[in-house]
Amino acid sequence: MNVDFKTDGNNITVYLAGDIDEYGVRTVKNDIDKLIDDTKGLRSMVFDMRSVTFIDSTGLGFVLGRYKKLRQRRAELLLRNVPKQVDRVFGASGVYSFVPIVE
Amino acid sequence: MNNYFSMKLCAVGENESFARNVVASFAVACSPTLDELNDLKTAVSEAVTNVVVHAYDDGGIVEIYCEIDLTENSLSVCVKDFGKGIEDVNKALEPFYTTKPDDERSGMGFTIMESFMDSMSVESTPGAGTCVTMKKVFGKC
Repeated sequence: MNVDFKTDGNNITVYLAGDIDEYGVRTVKNDIDKLIDDTKGLRSMVFDMRSVTFIDSTGLGFVLGRYKKLRQRRAELLLRNVPKQVDRVFGASGVYSFVPIVE
Repeated sequence: MNNYFSMKLCAVGENESFARNVVASFAVACSPTLDELNDLKTAVSEAVTNVVVHAYDDGGIVEIYCEIDLTENSLSVCVKDFGKGIEDVNKALEPFYTTKPDDERSGMGFTIMESFMDSMSVESTPGAGTCVTMKKVFGKC
């Protein structure tokens, strides 16, 4: 799993790529959390998922964990370009009521 | 013709991707759609993740037995461990129930297995291990 970041003012887009599973999450979680902690005045984070090849419930826990962390900072988490397999897992788990999709 | 394979893996996160992709490759004989294949991969990943995260404290083995039945175009997969077992299986099956909430576990593993496969059963003996058996029939619609 790989991540790339693009900062635009108070908003950060995180480009996630690869498999978001138990192994994948371990490799990127700390980098994303550090980015959240280090960005002053952060208002929103967008997970761009166009290059995500797979997700399971561990990935779901990872997304909800970042949602909670951002909420504590009064920032929001948004999703973009959600692939079909990811959408199926998110849809089955009710994630969209907390973390909406944006264009 | 029916076909099967079995394998033993070290119960570590690095092997999850290998396990789900091997089962998905085996399922190709049933001519699944891409969506069906993704459902199968997700369910297998959940079962193996449970073993990696919950079954052992100091590492162990995950055993996978997989069988296809071409007469009904189905695949059955059994994911077995020899770890701690589950004290209360009914509780574990509840959506969002997790014994590790501090670890950012979603508690949705069994719910996803149940909803993405045609059948799922869990047999567990505390102190002896757990066996999750799932079946998917392909090309139903």
